[in-house]
Amino acid sequence: MANMRLYSRGDKTFVILNMFLVGMFTLSTLYPFIYIASLSMSAGFEARAGNVVLGPVGLTLDAYRWVLSEPMFWISYRNTFIYTIGGTLMSLILIIPGAYALSRPQLYGRRFWNLMVAFTMWFHAGMIPFFLNMRDLGLLDSYFGIIIGFAVNGFNIILLRNFFENIPQSFEEAARMDGASEFQILWKVYVPLSKPAIATVALFCLVSRWNGFFWAMVLLQDEQKIPLQVYLRQTIAYLSDDEEFSSTLINQTYSVETVTAAIIVCSIIPVLLVYPFLQKYFNKGILLGGVKE
Amino acid sequence: MSGVQLDSIVKAYGAVEVVHGIDLAVAEQEFVVLVGPSGCGKSTTLRMIAGLEEISGGTLTIDGKVMNAVAPKDRDVAMVFQNYALYPHLDVAENIAFGLRIRREAKQRIAESITEVAEILGLTPYLERRPADLSGGQRQRVAMGRAIVRNPKVFLFDEPLSNLDAKLRTQMRAEIKRLHKRLGATSIYVTHDQVEAMTLADRIVVMHDGRIEQIGTPMELFLNPVNTFVAGFLGSPPMNQVRAVVEENGVGPVASFGGQKLPLAPLPDLKSRVGAEVVLGIRPEYVTAVTADTADQVNIDMDLIETLGSEALLHASLADEPFVIKAETIGNVRSLETVTGFTIQPDLIRVFDGETGLALGGQDRAA
Amino acid sequence: MTDISDRKQSVVFQPSRTQRVIEALKRDWQLYLMLAPTIIWLLLFLYKPMYGLQIAFKDYSVFRGIAGSPWVGFEHFQTLFDNDQFLRALKNTIVISFWSLLVGFPVPILLALMFNEILNQTFKKTAQTIVYLPHFISSVIIAGIVIASFSPSSGVVNTFLGWFGADPVYFLTKPEWFRPIFIGTNIWQEAGFSSIVYLAAIAGVSPTLYESAVIDGASRWQMMWKITIPSIMTTIIIMLIIRIGNMLEVSFEMIILLYQPATYETADVVNTFIYRQGLQGGQYDLAAAAGLFNAVVAFVLVMSANAISKRYSRTSLW
Repeated sequence: MANMRLYSRGDKTFVILNMFLVGMFTLSTLYPFIYIASLSMSAGFEARAGNVVLGPVGLTLDAYRWVLSEPMFWISYRNTFIYTIGGTLMSLILIIPGAYALSRPQLYGRRFWNLMVAFTMWFHAGMIPFFLNMRDLGLLDSYFGIIIGFAVNGFNIILLRNFFENIPQSFEEAARMDGASEFQILWKVYVPLSKPAIATVALFCLVSRWNGFFWAMVLLQDEQKIPLQVYLRQTIAYLSDDEEFSSTLINQTYSVETVTAAIIVCSIIPVLLVYPFLQKYFNKGILLGGVKE
Repeated sequence: MSGVQLDSIVKAYGAVEVVHGIDLAVAEQEFVVLVGPSGCGKSTTLRMIAGLEEISGGTLTIDGKVMNAVAPKDRDVAMVFQNYALYPHLDVAENIAFGLRIRREAKQRIAESITEVAEILGLTPYLERRPADLSGGQRQRVAMGRAIVRNPKVFLFDEPLSNLDAKLRTQMRAEIKRLHKRLGATSIYVTHDQVEAMTLADRIVVMHDGRIEQIGTPMELFLNPVNTFVAGFLGSPPMNQVRAVVEENGVGPVASFGGQKLPLAPLPDLKSRVGAEVVLGIRPEYVTAVTADTADQVNIDMDLIETLGSEALLHASLADEPFVIKAETIGNVRSLETVTGFTIQPDLIRVFDGETGLALGGQDRAA
Repeated sequence: MTDISDRKQSVVFQPSRTQRVIEALKRDWQLYLMLAPTIIWLLLFLYKPMYGLQIAFKDYSVFRGIAGSPWVGFEHFQTLFDNDQFLRALKNTIVISFWSLLVGFPVPILLALMFNEILNQTFKKTAQTIVYLPHFISSVIIAGIVIASFSPSSGVVNTFLGWFGADPVYFLTKPEWFRPIFIGTNIWQEAGFSSIVYLAAIAGVSPTLYESAVIDGASRWQMMWKITIPSIMTTIIIMLIIRIGNMLEVSFEMIILLYQPATYETADVVNTFIYRQGLQGGQYDLAAAAGLFNAVVAFVLVMSANAISKRYSRTSLW
């Protein structure tokens, strides 16, 4: 099929036009990232004046110097790591055994428990009751609150449960006849057999934790606890109104624009680092969880 | 007495009963094969013995102890699964050792057991390989190794050869037989393949629709099927079944079908059945194909010939029913094309009741 | 030997429901132990708030608590439907959803079809890697990029317009620009990733269909229309149903990040309304009522979508 010489002229035109259009779409996806990267490395006054289009103008890393010397940047970066790693571990600890139990045909009341999980995907009490509940549980302004409060979601449970269900029952039976307990069966047989699915869930958790913003903004008041995304938001929203900050800019080679861009770049880099792994798994993940025959 | 005993074993899923009260006694060191078409309850029965399915009614005894409510791991049985259930993340040695590790056996003893079992099964060179890097036959052997290493009272096999290709299956069949001879462990083996059943079993249990149709040695079942189901299930190709009416011609009973007559052995049961319908069971191997007109010959309409090598299957029809003859090819490949009928010794014909399908007459014709 | 005529009557012991539960607990206590944390979490963090939803029918006061606050019936709902801001938010939600669906739904399908027609595997892989990426970037960053690009003084969009002699426009303060920018951003972020589902469906089409079409002399354009699109029609329809089911789920996080009082007129949706009234304004009961209304409508939509797609494809979505 891939032999161009076998193609008619009409087909060749079609193929080339198609490649051009895909190329355009790809470039337009890529461009904003290039623009931000260029901005972050440009001189402040050039950025202010709107002279940056493609590539840095007046190359300087002063914006990064400013960002990296800002204590709040490091604090929020550290917090994001705490929320991301703690939250992902918490999710796996809760989801893996739960999904395994739900996948066992002998579990009494299995339909009911599964419905209980699925229902949370269809109906959600909403923002206000969730917030009041977190407040009543004393989980406002707490690391633990962020880590535990978003640990489980129905989609991930069902994704993993479906994967467990598709592992031939004989693996469990063979282990059971060998005298393995349910915990041993899960830990020594099902977890190793489910590495791709577990990796998928773990990566979904990592990404959503890393990117989590809204609830962190709502639930956390203490500056010392906010994650990177909230810090970034505050920087974007308030730096430009901050006269003290503006006044320090007069003789500097960085500006609000370049500093913001630099924080954005710093925040994207970890995502880019795990992106190859993500790509390996998300195809599978979507198909695993999305449609169940 | 050691061994496995099933007393009126029943399996029901809610209101649906799938195994209807089975009685079976497997003696120590015996190799028993459960055979039957899919859905006959043979696997369910095996899984009840293993403890993987709850027993809905009746009593299961292993080695004299009632096992109905005993967990699988405490029954001292090991099972070889159809898909082997080898753990892909463990190598051969770890797969074999899995059960012993779970039971926290001493490291020293585990190592010894692995060496011993690997030797028995010829797996020694492969101990560090993962299942994915093994051939089908080797995987099969690892699965057996995992069972053997536990040194259980009873071995259970759930269609262990059905994932292998034909050649390998024959080879592994012989290997299982050899292994049983060597270890002498009580074994219960489930298959839908009657050839496996015939070759492996000390005794065969033919099951159908959740009931046992017949239990006996392979030759007993081959020669004396108790009913048309068993007759049609065992043998390759299976027994021909011809509907006929019993008549009396002064010398003895004869069967009449489609205007032809065939003398029968003078079974006592036949006298009372003159005029009644019966089913004649005729083994394809027991008839002699004839080309020229012979006095006692039964005429058939030839359809096609399948040559298998030393033998050929002649597909024909008799009284509008398919009829198969197995004939030797040596020296008469040509003449097979001109076959017009067959002859058979009367005492090789099995007669079944036309309504109930039960065999008439003696069950004592020796092998 | 068993005689067929003498089959025994079997007796099956039928335990009662309680006995079955006790049996199951005894046998599978380990499974229940594994399940318990998940179930407790669900009860504590998702089902307990559902109990808290009752404040939508109460005059909620922080001091009296959820149970102690007096009932007021449907008062909050009445207030909502007399409230111009709520009605505006409702209208905006529907309008934004509608346009997102109309403009945004076909894009991933087109992308998948186009990807499928690319012969150069390296080009295809690279392009896919790039267009999937924005999905994994946080909305704060995306909003940051949008704000930077559309800035009146420094943004590249105005720089670009300036080349054609246009005066700079402060896009993010113009109500008429909010929806195009928001919907465009959404498509930019999600279209690539959403195309995976269709690519998977296309991958499931048997290659022999194309091979026999080639022998019949079909052009690639014809094969796309006569083979690929009909083959993935089920997927397209299911995805459409899901999208309609999730209509109300406008990504309000992005709206919060992009809107400002000047653009509330076209940007404020139900969820941002709830956020402002409840979390910022402290009117918990009124905001909870708006949330309940939203959740019930969403629930009905999702359940209908699931039912329709079940009937359509005999495939359950969950």
